[in-house]
Formats: sequence, C-alpha cells, structure tokens
Amino acid sequence: MDHSSDPLYLGYEQLHAEVSTLVASYPPPFLYINDTTSPRVSGAVIGSILEEIQNKQPGPSKRVHFARINAIACFSARLLYDSILNSLTRWEPSWNDGCANWHLEDDEQRWNENFDGFIHGLRAVSTYLRRKSTGKGKGKEKMSVDDEDVRLVIVVERAERLRETLPELMVPLTRLAELTQLDLTMIFISSVRWEDIRPPLGASPDPYFIDVPPPTKEIIAQRVTSKFPLSNDPSPGPYHASLRGLYTHFVSVLCDVCYPFTHDPQEIEYIAAARWPGFVQPVLDQHQRATEADMDLDTAEEDESRPKQLAPPSEDVRMRLSRLFNASLNTALEDLYPRLTNAADWAETHKPEPDLLAKHPGHVVKAGEAKVNAKGDSDGMEALPRMSKFILIAAFLASTNPHSSDLRMFGRGLDEKKRKRRARKAVGSGPAKIPQRLVGPVAFPLDRLLAILGALLEENDVEARLPAPEYTIPGEYTDMETSRVGVYTAIMDLTSMRLLHRTSAIDRIDGPPTFKCGISYDVTMTLARELGIPLNDLMWDPV
Amino acid sequence: MSTQPNLDDANQTVFYIPFSGEDHDDDDSSPDVPLPQPLHTDRDLPEGQQLRLQAYAEAWRKCLDRIKSIIQALHAPIAADVVHQVHASYDDVLPGLPYPELPVITITNPSSSSTFLNEVAAQIDSPDLDSDALFDAPAFTTHLYPTDSLNISSTMKTMIAGFVDRSHILEKVKGRPATSLAPYDIEMLVAWYTAVREAYELKEAAQPKLVVLLHDFEQLDMLVIQDLFYICSLHIQRLPLVFIISLSSPSYPSYLHVTYPRSTLALLRVRNFAVPSGKRVLEEVLLKTFFDVGFDPDIVIGPAVLSSLADHFTRQDSSVDSILNFLHITHLKHFSSEPLTLLANSTPPSSLLFQPSAFKFLDSLITRMQTPPQDPASLPAAEWAPQSLPALVTAIDTARSDFRSRARCLRIGFRIIKLIQEFMKRQGYKGLDWNRHPGGLGIFDVMTDILRGTLGSDIKFLGTMVRKLRAGQLGSLLEELHGYFNSMPSELRASEQEARMKLVFTLNALPEDMEEDTTGVGSQLAGNFGEWLVGYLNGLIAPLEKTQLWEVWFTGLSPFPTELINPSVRSSIVSGLLRPHEFSELTEEDEQENQTDFSLWEYPDTSILFRRYLDSGKMINVYDWFESFQSVLEMQRKNIKKRLAAEARSRPQSPTKRAGKGKGKAKGKAVQKMDREEEDGEEDEDRLKLEVQARFMRALQELDYIGFIKHTRRKADHVQRTAFDLHD
Repeated sequence: MDHSSDPLYLGYEQLHAEVSTLVASYPPPFLYINDTTSPRVSGAVIGSILEEIQNKQPGPSKRVHFARINAIACFSARLLYDSILNSLTRWEPSWNDGCANWHLEDDEQRWNENFDGFIHGLRAVSTYLRRKSTGKGKGKEKMSVDDEDVRLVIVVERAERLRETLPELMVPLTRLAELTQLDLTMIFISSVRWEDIRPPLGASPDPYFIDVPPPTKEIIAQRVTSKFPLSNDPSPGPYHASLRGLYTHFVSVLCDVCYPFTHDPQEIEYIAAARWPGFVQPVLDQHQRATEADMDLDTAEEDESRPKQLAPPSEDVRMRLSRLFNASLNTALEDLYPRLTNAADWAETHKPEPDLLAKHPGHVVKAGEAKVNAKGDSDGMEALPRMSKFILIAAFLASTNPHSSDLRMFGRGLDEKKRKRRARKAVGSGPAKIPQRLVGPVAFPLDRLLAILGALLEENDVEARLPAPEYTIPGEYTDMETSRVGVYTAIMDLTSMRLLHRTSAIDRIDGPPTFKCGISYDVTMTLARELGIPLNDLMWDPV
Repeated sequence: MSTQPNLDDANQTVFYIPFSGEDHDDDDSSPDVPLPQPLHTDRDLPEGQQLRLQAYAEAWRKCLDRIKSIIQALHAPIAADVVHQVHASYDDVLPGLPYPELPVITITNPSSSSTFLNEVAAQIDSPDLDSDALFDAPAFTTHLYPTDSLNISSTMKTMIAGFVDRSHILEKVKGRPATSLAPYDIEMLVAWYTAVREAYELKEAAQPKLVVLLHDFEQLDMLVIQDLFYICSLHIQRLPLVFIISLSSPSYPSYLHVTYPRSTLALLRVRNFAVPSGKRVLEEVLLKTFFDVGFDPDIVIGPAVLSSLADHFTRQDSSVDSILNFLHITHLKHFSSEPLTLLANSTPPSSLLFQPSAFKFLDSLITRMQTPPQDPASLPAAEWAPQSLPALVTAIDTARSDFRSRARCLRIGFRIIKLIQEFMKRQGYKGLDWNRHPGGLGIFDVMTDILRGTLGSDIKFLGTMVRKLRAGQLGSLLEELHGYFNSMPSELRASEQEARMKLVFTLNALPEDMEEDTTGVGSQLAGNFGEWLVGYLNGLIAPLEKTQLWEVWFTGLSPFPTELINPSVRSSIVSGLLRPHEFSELTEEDEQENQTDFSLWEYPDTSILFRRYLDSGKMINVYDWFESFQSVLEMQRKNIKKRLAAEARSRPQSPTKRAGKGKGKAKGKAVQKMDREEEDGEEDEDRLKLEVQARFMRALQELDYIGFIKHTRRKADHVQRTAFDLHD
C-alpha cells in the first residue's frame, strides 16, 4: 500500500497492514492493541488508518464510521456515552444550541442515562448513518441500497483507566457488538497488557491481540528525521532545507545517546527540538559572516548582490560540531527527560557562544561543560525559617534512625561518654540488610520529633539565640523553645507544604499525631551543612 | 415535642434543652472583679485613652501604608513578568516539539499569602470583551481552590463554570440539561470558547487566554490534578489554557517534580517564578521604613524590639504577615503603656491640659522635661499653670522636632556607614566584620547596634580604613558620598550643607593624576578626611535617648512581649497548675492582703492533685493518690471552717468572696456547700465522701484531658506519668 510510506507509519507498517485489512474486511468485535513504549503514537496511527478507510470510496467493504475517545477524559459513564455518540456522528455541540448532544431531528430521547439508553443510542446512530449515506448515494449515483451498510469502530485510548473509573462498564463495552447486534468493533489501546486489566470470571471475551513491538534505533532515528519541521522561509534558519543532511547525522548521534534510556520517539524528538537550534547555530553564524564579507566585496564591484544560498555544511564542519556538542547531548537527556526544565528554556540557557566555528578548537569551552550547575541547590530552602530547618533535619533523623537508637545517638550523660554507634557486624548469613535511608522514611510520633529537635537545638543553636538570663537551669531555654506555639505552627506549615507527611488521621485526637519525613538525604545534608550540624554523626546508618 | 425530654425514647434523636441562665446558683460570683488596668493610669489625662488611640491610629496607618507600598514594589517586577508570560505563553513556541505543551507557571511564594496571586489575577483578567480598548491581549481567569477539587468531576465543573458563567460575555442558552453536554465536560468549554470567538469575531492573534489559577497547590489532590492536566492537554489546540500554580513550598526541591510522575510533567511546559522571600524582605522593609532618609516614621522602634523582630522573623515565621503583626503589636504596646505618648503627633489643646484633672499628667510631663529633675512639689499647680502652659506646649513641640531631626541624623549616619562599608567590600577589602556573631543576623545586628549607640568602634575602624585609602579610591568614595547627599530631599540636603562642603573641598583638593601620587597629597587628604569622617559620624549617631521626652517617640529598650505571639504551651500549662493564683484575677480584697504564699489546701482541686502527681514515681497508684487528696481536702474543710468562724465574728455582714477565682470554681462551690451544711448543723459523712470522690474524679479527668496521664494496663489501679523533671 502506498500509504505506508507516510512518515507517521514508520515502524508501524505491521500495525497499519493488520488493522486496515481487518477493519476493511471482517473485523473481530474486540481488538486489543498493546503498545508499551508510546501508546500515544499508536493512537495517532490507528486514528489516521481509520480516517483513511472512512474517506475511501465505499468499495466492496462497508462504510466505516469511527469514534476515538480517551478513557481519562471520559471519567464518568455519561461522558463516555456522550463522547462516543457525538464522535461517531461527527456532531459538534454548539453553544447557541444549549450544547445539545447529538439527537435525531424529531426525537428528544436521552441516550446517556444508562447503558441501555446508550445501546439504543448506538442503534439510532447506526440507522441515522445508514440513512445519511444512502441519501447521499441516491443523490449521486443510485447505489444499491441494500448493500450499503455501516460499520462502527470505537477506539478507546488509555483503556487501562476504565478499570479504575468505570469498572462496571468494562464487560459491556467489550461485548458491545453482541449487545447492540450491530456491525461494531471495539478497539482498546493501552500500554498495559490485557491480562492485567481483564475483568474477573472471564466475563469479557478474549480480544484479538495486536502487540506493537518497541521501535528499533534505526526506526526511531528515521521517525525523528522525518519530522524535520522544514521551514518555507528561504532565509537561513535552523530548519532550512540544506541542513537536513546535518540533521540526520545529529539525530542518529542523539539516538545513540538516548536509546539505552528511552525508546519513545517523541521523547527523542523533544530533546532534538531543544538541542538542534544551538547545534546548528555556529553554521548559521558562519554563513552570516560569509554573506557579510561577500556583501562588502560585492558592493565594490557590482550592485546586484543576491544573498548567498545556505549550503549544506561540509564533512569537516560536521565533525567539529559533533566534537563540540556531543557532551551536551548527555546533559540534555539528563535535564529534559525527567523534565527538570522545559525544552525552550533549555535551548535558551545552552546557547553556544557566537561564532564558535571561527575560534580555535583549543580555546573553545565545550558546550555542556560551560555551565556547570549554574543554580545552587540550597537557594530554594533559604526562605524557610531557621526553626523549620531544624525541624526538617529532626524529622529526617526520626524517619531514618531506628527509635531504639535515640538514647544512644542523642543522650548525653554526665560522664560525656562518646555515643556509640552499633558495631558493624561482619556479613553473616541471610540477606544483607538494606539501610533505612534507601527503604524510605518510617513514621514517627510528634513527641519523638520534639525530643530530637530539642537535642539538636541544645547542641547547635545555643549561641545563635537571643540572650535570656531568666533561664538558669541547663537546657531550660531549649525546653521552652521546643514547646512554643511557633514550633507547632511550623510543623503544620511544613506538613501543608508536603515537606512532612502526616500519617495519622487529622480528626484523631487521642495519642500524638505521627509524621513522615518528606525530604531526601541530599536536601537534608544541605540544610545540615548550613546550620552546622554534623548529620553523618547523628545517623545510625551513615552514608 | 414535649418540654420534658424523654431520653429513653429511641426514636427521638434530637433534644432541645432551652438555655436557662448560668448553671450556678451563686449569683454574686458574677464578674464584678476589676479588669486589669494599664499601668500608670494615675498620671493619665481624662481623655488620654481616646487621644492615644488617635495618635496610635495615625502612627500605625502611616507605618502600614509605607510597608504595604514597599511590599508592592517588591512584588511588582515579578507580577509584571508573570503577566507577560501569560500573554506570551503561546507565542514563540519552539519548533519541532512532538506535541503542543500546556503552559504552566509556578509561583513560589513562601512568605506572603494569596495577595500576590490575586494581584496577578486582577492584572490579567479582562472584565469584559465589549470595550474597544482591549483586544491586544485579553484573558479570562478562574480560580481553583482545594475545597473545589475533591474529585475530577467537581474540579472540571468548577473550572468550566468559572469561564462559562460569565454571563456578560456570552448569554447562556437554556437547553434540556439531560440531553446536553454534562457541566463537567470539557467539550462544553470548547463550545463556549468557539461561540465567544465567533460572537466577537476575534482575530487569531487576539484570542483570549484561559487562565486557571490553582491556589494552595500542595493541598490539591495529586491524582485529580494529574487527570486535569491530561484532559486539558488533549484540547490544547482548541483552548489556549494557561495554568498558574501557587506553591508555598520552597523552589528546591520542587514540589511539582517530586510529586508528579514524568508522564504528567511531559505534558507541561513549566516556568517558575519566585516571589522575594526570606531575610531580604525584612531587610527591605526595615531599611525603607525605619532607616530611610525620605520617610519619617512617627514611632522609631528600639533596639530591643528590632532584635526580637529579626530573631522571630528568621527563626520562627518568615512571612510578611509576621512583620506586620510584630510592628502592629509594638505600636499598640507603645501607645497603651505610656500616657505621654498622646503627644506623639501633636500637642493637645491647652484647654485639655489646663484643667485640674490633668494635673498629674502635667506633673509627670514636667518632671521628664526638667533635667535634672527639680522638686515638683515646690511648684504648686496654681502658680505655674497660667504663665508656663504656653511655654510648655512650645517646649513639647520643640522636643518633638528635636527628636525628629535627631532620628533623621541617625538614619543618615546609618546610610553613610552602610555606603562606605559596601564601597570597601567592592574594593575587595574585608570592611567591617558585620557577620561576626555565629548565626548572626548581619545587617540587623548593625541596626540594633546603631540604635543602642554602640557602633563607636566600628566607626573608628571605618575612619582608619578611609585614612589608608589610595587617592584614586578616595576620589571614587567621595564621588559616591556626594551622589548620596545629592539624592536626599532638598530640605535635608540643606541641613547637611557643612558635610557637603567638606566633601567638595576634599574632592577638589585631590591631585589630578590620582594613580601616581608622588607628592603624598592624596594620603594626607585621606588622613584628614578620615578624621573628619569619624567626628562627623559620631555626631550623627548620638543615641536617641539623649533627647528630651524621647520615650514618646522611641520604644527604647522596652522589650517586645514575645510570649504573647509565641507562647510556650507546656510551660504555661504547668505554671498554671503550679501557681494558679497568679493567673486568677485578684479581687480588691486579695490585693489588700497581698498574699503570695499559699499553703496546699488553698489551691484548686486540679492543682492539689497535680502537686501530688509531681511527688510520685513513674507509675501512680490511683487509690493512694485519692487518699492523699482526701487528706488535703480534710485540712481544707477544717481551715475554711476556722476562717469562716473568725470572719463571722469580725464582720458578720459581708460574706467572703475568697473562693470565686479562676480554676477554683470547685472550691467555691465547696465553700457554699459548707456554708449550708453548717447552717443545717449536721455532718453527713457519706455525702462528704461522695463529694470528695466526685471532686477527685473531676480533677483527675481534667489532668487526663490536658495529657498528663497515660493509661496503661500494665499494673492494676495504676496510671503512668507523662511529665517529668518540671522545674518549679
């Protein structure tokens, strides 16, 4: 088929062939498409296949009408019914109509009340579509009315969500063809396997499975390259036609870097979009300079100065660019894949210095190494009041240290004995114990938090306090500080910021509330360094 | 419904018990106890309270307006950025992205409440589309609060209704709700938006943005918001939505990135804006309110208040509101504790001062104004009042303007010191060691020092440094100082004429070629200038306490009542239990007796029980506890009987009021009962026992409720203590 040359189907030829053949001939009532890498792309592919079939002149096959809905967007049964019916009939609710749903002209029947109504609705849609197409046919060329029949296809994307939002509809939706007695096909697209979301007791029929394999590196590279957003502007820009060859090389290198981490072509496309303008900038700068130089020469000789065409860069330039930018590809992946920043801002901050190619290679600071973590990590925490920082550290210690260790870690006897940490036992039998820091925080009662807070304050905060001669007994000042209203308010504030997690119910009044620490070791470490607390000495399992 | 509730009727679930007055029979215990009076009332004017309230209101309004404008100025650039970002959110999209992203603006705002967000919303929102002036960048806003977002349908409904229900933009067309789109269907918003665009024939560029403001983002349910973002991103091509998120958590670690999965983040284009917060805000507010030459606050806060404020702000609560509260309380306290403060803004008309009831006020006033104080008794009021009253008023006015100009000098001095210090830092010198205290507060300590008048050594050091400057450096320092003087308001500039002359002379005397100073003129000049500077600065920063009547405008060393806004809960409860009499309102009788030492039987029941609690071990046997309680009550009964008998003998008419105080309600009743019992003349042992038991139970429950008792089943009849080592 000639359609498979469409860049959208790259890597999805198999899916395209299978689905289009099935839908055009004798489709099973229930199809399940499982794409673990990029269900979004699969959805787009299926949509485009169905569009294609629908627009084709009805040959031997029936007229196909389809609806493509999303299970997350349809979070209630009513929304699901409305979307399917409106989408099948291509009905667009209009505001001036009071946003009415699709209905037959004379009929004011309600289709979205329950599943029964929905089935009636589907049948009405089918009749309406049949009548519509025959009407059209009659007007044109008088086709045989009997043969003209419609086939309905309903595509549900992110189908795994149906199990949570509308579990009671799973079974009827999968048996929709039986229930409506129509020529109807249900297609579920999901990143989850059918076995994991199948309703119990075998209530749903087994679907026709289509598994989409993860794309290979070459396919990804081809897909990304084919999406090159060619600009129509003849003036040189990052998406100028002559740079296409360079782009292909760029993408293949980028794929090499990213392939171990993600197979989603859209992710790689995203990273490419962020890096490419910077990557190609030196070439554009060079061209700009060359043109200016030419203009200077030209004006001396002849007036007719035509802007020089941007030529594809030479192999040598390509090598130099690769050398300059390859390191930054890793940075791009690290920043952009977890979306620590967005592509536009990343592209802005990682712009290369102008005229990079004109400089001597030895003098050039490689992009990527240029800005080593410009933003400090602790500046965000700066705004917290001092007491809140102490509370957070105390919470971290309470969440990581076992509670039986508190006396040994924080207790200070009269004889000033050094606190003894548990002696590291030689690896004995049995599985190695995973340190608490890696297992995750444990819940602790408020009292324990306050006690640890008191110990921390007594050792690290005494000098910074305002003088208070009225407290004479050692530790009395700290005792007053930890029981102040401000401390409780700070704890509640931190909880509302989700830096502490409250694990006990809000409405429970007997017994102390329990909390969990919500910050990581690194953040705690920064805070501790700022406050001068030797955090590693206070941890039962130091890092 | 019958008036007599039948509590056994299972069908009747609600009973109405009409209020029938207070639930005690002793009517004379109503609060005729005098409220605590402010200090120094004896030397107040009769209208003093009213006048001071006026003076306070004016002073505080002035201060508040100033702070508000400072905060607004701090916020303005960020707000402008956010507004610009909203309008530009769909322009300049990076080409080549796989799918359009949902623009999200996060605002990290830990220090102030929702005011900033509302400010931004007011700037973004176009009230209606009819006026001709707009259409360069219209936008609609709607707000989402945590209470609206319990599940996805209510969230969607609130969001859609927020846009659609603006009836003045587009008339709502009534349809049959059952056969129309659900109100939580985003298609409804699409239909509305399409209709708006058609109705107003909007061009592509003038499409209004739909801005959703998410308040208290941390409180919103993560799963709901995840779905909200997903659904909105599906429709991004038809609906130009922009989300503004208000975060109170710090920008690092970012709440959004910690909490939301990558799949959701991949749909968004997040840009972060941080509202200024932390120390910087306080510094800005203090510098521009109390240390700014262009602003004269009515009340100058003293070093004690300043250091408490700095400590509270950096340690406990770094919000703008806490600064406002703190200064507000300072103003209130200042005006309520000192009668003379009614002179803060203006002197009251002499008709008010010239009346017999004002004598004590005038007396104290004159005492303060005469330094050294003479014996006021030697001047009978009738003699000095007629002739010296106008003089007195003038003297007060002079004192006021004296104080103002002295305070201004202080501010100029501070600014010059700060300027020189910053200059030294820029030149690469260490300068004054302003962060010398461990955990010190930098500039706030300097502010405290200058108000205390203990900055002398710093000035000396500055002088030494200036003396050692090279000619070139001296030149640029002089230029800066000159620039600073020129930036002052003109009337102030005139008052500092002498200093400016000195600057200009020194500047002119500097050799032309500053870098190669062979003649030694430069260093000589620097030496001279340094010396002059020390003298000049020392003159400027003379302590404010040396002016007359300074306590009217300066809070001085009077401390800030920190316990009021940040009390220690535990110690308050414990000291309340240990010394209940200090918390109760004293009757006049008590004051006369002025008894400070109470024996145990005089305490309320809960306190008696608590005393015994402190004497016990880790576990308390409840029966032993009860026995000891009983013995105290026994003693109490005997003593009260004895006292009543004594009082009855001396004053048969007035019944005692000793009992009706604070927590001692139970005791009060006991006394009443005892009265009656005595009248009856019979001693019912059983009833007494029952009463003791009831009082014990009540006190025990009270302690339990406060949290001093832990019930464990480890030992029969025992409860566990929860508080130990309480310092008396």
